[in-house]
Amino acid sequence: MRLDLFSKNYKLKRINMIGEARLKELHDFLNGYSKEELVWINGYLSGIVSNGLTNGSANSNGHDIKSAATKKISLAFGTETGNSKKLATQLAAAAKKRGVNAKLIGLDQYRLTDLSKEEYFFIVISTQGEGEPPAPAKKFYDHIHDNELSLPNLKFSVLALGDSSYPMFCKTGEDVDLQFEKFGAKRVVPLRKCDVDYEEDAMEWFGNVLNVIENHSVEKPDAPQQQPVKKTTGKKYYQGTVLANINLNDRGSNKETYHIEIGCDEVIEYEPGDTIGIVPQNRKEVVEKIIALTGIDANKVIQTTKQSAAVLELLTQHLNICYLLSSTIKKYAAIIQQEIPDTRMDLVDLLRIYPVKDAVQFEEVVKILMPIAPRLYSVSSSPAAHGENEVHITVARIQFLAEDEQRFGLCSEFLGDLPVDSAITFYVHKDKNFKLPAADKDVIMIGPGTGVAPFRAFLAERDATGAAGRNWFFFGEQHFTTDFLYQTEIQNYVQTGVLTKIDLAFSRDQQEKIYVQHRMLQKADELYNWISNGASLFVSGTKDPMSKDVENTLLQIIEEKGRKTNEEAKQYLELLKKEGRYEKDVY
Amino acid sequence: MSEKNNLSAVERIKTSSDGLRGTLKESLDEGLTGALYEDDQSLIKFHGLYQQDDRDRREERGEKKLEWLYSFMIRLRLPGGFLTPEQWIGLHHIAGEHSTGTIKITTRQTVQLHGILKSEIKPTIQSFNTLHLDSIAACGDVNRNVTCSAHPKESAIHEEVFQYADKISTMALPKTRAYYQIWLDEEQIADKNEEDPLYQDRYLPRKFKVGIAIPPNNDIDVLTNDVGLIAIIENNKLKGFNIAAGGGLSSTHGNPNTYARLATVLGFVNTENVLKAVYEVMTIQRDHGNRSDRKLARLKYTIDKFGVDAFRTELEKRCGFQLEEAKPYIFTDRKDHYGWKQNHEGKWYYSVFIENGRVLDDEKIALKTALFEIAKTGKANFRFTGNQNLILADIAEADKAAVEELLIKFGVIAHTDDAGALRKNAMACVAFNTCPLALAEAQRYLPSLIDKIEPLLAKYSLQNEEIILRMTGCPNGCGRSPAAEIGFVGTAYGQYNLHIGGDRVGERLNTKYKDSLTEEQILDTLDELFKVYKAERKAGETFGDFSNRKWIITETEKELQLQ
Repeated sequence: MRLDLFSKNYKLKRINMIGEARLKELHDFLNGYSKEELVWINGYLSGIVSNGLTNGSANSNGHDIKSAATKKISLAFGTETGNSKKLATQLAAAAKKRGVNAKLIGLDQYRLTDLSKEEYFFIVISTQGEGEPPAPAKKFYDHIHDNELSLPNLKFSVLALGDSSYPMFCKTGEDVDLQFEKFGAKRVVPLRKCDVDYEEDAMEWFGNVLNVIENHSVEKPDAPQQQPVKKTTGKKYYQGTVLANINLNDRGSNKETYHIEIGCDEVIEYEPGDTIGIVPQNRKEVVEKIIALTGIDANKVIQTTKQSAAVLELLTQHLNICYLLSSTIKKYAAIIQQEIPDTRMDLVDLLRIYPVKDAVQFEEVVKILMPIAPRLYSVSSSPAAHGENEVHITVARIQFLAEDEQRFGLCSEFLGDLPVDSAITFYVHKDKNFKLPAADKDVIMIGPGTGVAPFRAFLAERDATGAAGRNWFFFGEQHFTTDFLYQTEIQNYVQTGVLTKIDLAFSRDQQEKIYVQHRMLQKADELYNWISNGASLFVSGTKDPMSKDVENTLLQIIEEKGRKTNEEAKQYLELLKKEGRYEKDVY
Repeated sequence: MSEKNNLSAVERIKTSSDGLRGTLKESLDEGLTGALYEDDQSLIKFHGLYQQDDRDRREERGEKKLEWLYSFMIRLRLPGGFLTPEQWIGLHHIAGEHSTGTIKITTRQTVQLHGILKSEIKPTIQSFNTLHLDSIAACGDVNRNVTCSAHPKESAIHEEVFQYADKISTMALPKTRAYYQIWLDEEQIADKNEEDPLYQDRYLPRKFKVGIAIPPNNDIDVLTNDVGLIAIIENNKLKGFNIAAGGGLSSTHGNPNTYARLATVLGFVNTENVLKAVYEVMTIQRDHGNRSDRKLARLKYTIDKFGVDAFRTELEKRCGFQLEEAKPYIFTDRKDHYGWKQNHEGKWYYSVFIENGRVLDDEKIALKTALFEIAKTGKANFRFTGNQNLILADIAEADKAAVEELLIKFGVIAHTDDAGALRKNAMACVAFNTCPLALAEAQRYLPSLIDKIEPLLAKYSLQNEEIILRMTGCPNGCGRSPAAEIGFVGTAYGQYNLHIGGDRVGERLNTKYKDSLTEEQILDTLDELFKVYKAERKAGETFGDFSNRKWIITETEKELQLQ
């Protein structure tokens, strides 16, 4: 979007000292640039001025500005009408141009506990009618007013939007600014209040913000840290806490997809593309019922083949009590010396129908139970973007439950039902292949449904590290209105330029079903172009039929656009696989 | 506020829109969002639609990382508010297929549907087109729907006057073919002349409303329009119209430069000249209206900047004829005449009470089904009133019984008869959850507030007083609350300014009496006002006149004394 800034009476007076002719030259020169580019140029020029380099030697210095290590700031917006959001998005894009990575967050989505971890925190916030905060920012506003916080390490500035025809002009922005000062945070740029024609003021404020960031030396280099030597024996288990658990689908959807954020005191060693394994816990009510039915002492320690622990812990955390295998039921029948038909059922039902003699006999039963199988989920976060102490996953309800379990009844706690603050145990499962290529390489991501998970991680990583390669994402679900997982984040990535291209397929919004492979076909030329120029292809989501349909479509595109025979197309795809440029994470 | 000499952003959008096309086609194809591109959000108003979102759902959707639940409201262009039964049937189906299902009768005699997703806009407009209905210029900085006194029984020449609504609407249609090309897939012919001598490429500075009243009923609130025409009838012949200009009810909280204003009667024009006069009022507004501050852009500010006499002179100069002195007329009421009425030809009319104009089936009454069944008989036309009600119209004597049977079957007659006088004369705008401007509730809240006001009236035996009460969720005045005897204007969620002292027929605006009252404070205040009114009023004195004399005038006088 190009804006003709000069038609809007941009303050040319200030630079009129260079004379009409040169001013005209400058005017003509600058007229073709977008607003974001002008902001960058503004910073570039001020860099030159502040370094005293006014004669020709600016080039090398300019280079330094661009190639400086990526600096990160958080840019939060609170909006009622969408103005603050629009503006913050523009600012974030402008920041990127100057080598500053601005993490864009809506205050309605902001996790309040993160405030203490922020280093640079900038807020764009509007004021409503009688001086109230915009509704989506109310939770944040109340949080900083109802709590005594200490934020001595935080550096901040507030851009307040308002309408000067109202008496409480920019009141919310003033309030927020004052609270942060009270919390001991350092105001690096003064509060800026803007009227309805806010653009010019906002750009100037942000120019100041960026100048501060650039002049501030980077304390810790972003170079990859030395990986600690990995223990080769056994998995490392992390004790985590649920920080957030959100059903991403809207009311009325056929789907339930949970976005779960897990925090951990220690650094979680993982990368985008990895999966984590979670051992689900059995439901407390069911375990209590079993203990009551058998009369066993919950604290009695039993030695199983794998570990030695109290009955309560074993039944809750380690042993499967759901839909027992028929082989397990056979062993059970042997212990209680009864005939039991070949079947599968929950332990609690088994105990009801074919009771054990006493607690001692039940101890034998405990020893034959199988361990709970861990569930694996692709991580949907990036340490660079979301911090090293947390990991996010994206879980569909149907994905969590084995088909049989659904039909048979439920005795394990579903992740989506876990409240915030619940404890959760997990380990990281490294995936060597499903990894982002070099920063300058292009990436094509095909991930409908929960297939979005690793790509959210990829995009966050590429955003946070300022990777230069292009990114193309194919996403699909049932309905646009209710099922567009991570919609606002994806929109932000499009607006800030992280996502070069996006193609969407909502299968049930029209008569004929449209899936991601149909969108791929529509873009066949360009897709082939990307691939033949070295792009890496990633597919994530359900194995059948999605990943197969996608693969067939890829072959079709390679065949048609690459003028190859079917056999050659297959060889081509094989070659991509060998080069690590065609990776799948399907289930 | 300082006068800004730069044009407002919307002005740039209009002039660079290529005849209201903008990038609407691209906006519709953009799959990433349910919204339009920003500039197109302004342009689509000229096509009769507003982009809105469900404000009740913002917070929850935000947490789910989903964007706001965007949808669109479509408003039809229905000069004088008339539909055939076939068109009503079509509207009924379109509402069910593409919108929330509720048919909303507006305060300006048309209907609008809410909750239309971006992908459904085109099918909706195409369906309306098959019914010969359109939404061109129903919103935006153009002449909006033209209103006209609704009840044909008012005059033997109602039909003749009613024609003028259509004539004015047609005269003031934008000349661009954009609507047909974008929504109805008409092919764009490169050098087709779209020159628009009225709107040029900049349209009007702000919305423009025209209404026609047939005295003695002022049901359309003629003086609240930018141009109000008052039909002058002598010996059952339409002589012409008194033309009034400069009405408009919107204001902005905390901005003293904004105000509600009733139109000033400028003079009389005969039937031959009336279209020219309306046209030239629009050209003056086009050329002289404020294009830098949209809050000060309505015709009322242009007229006050000119001064009424200078404005009349300019109008006469542009028209090439003099306005005659205004003819005498009298308004006696502003209400709808509920129930059965017969006109001079013997045709029957049944006015149905529709609370806040919302036609839907709810637990109380299956109004939508009832009207659908009546439409299916083909025996009644549908006319909308400026008070958000509906007249089943032009029913032949022989068909009356059949219509009545359905009205009884679905409880419509009982519903209309049983509603109290206050409720029947009340009006509210849409406000939450879809109106982006709303500061407080209106149509969702007013019915329950009336439930609580009615006992107060009964306490003083005032329940049969036909007091005009209106509520708007913000000071923009869509529910015309500044022109009510009791007006509520939302200031924040759950809070309303209370205005009193407007007259019954719409010739005097009310005045703010109390600021930002909660419901409890509203009820306490009204209780006190009703008590004093009951005790001290003169015979036949309306609540509006009494409260003006008692509380408004005296307050002003006190202020004058102090100065």
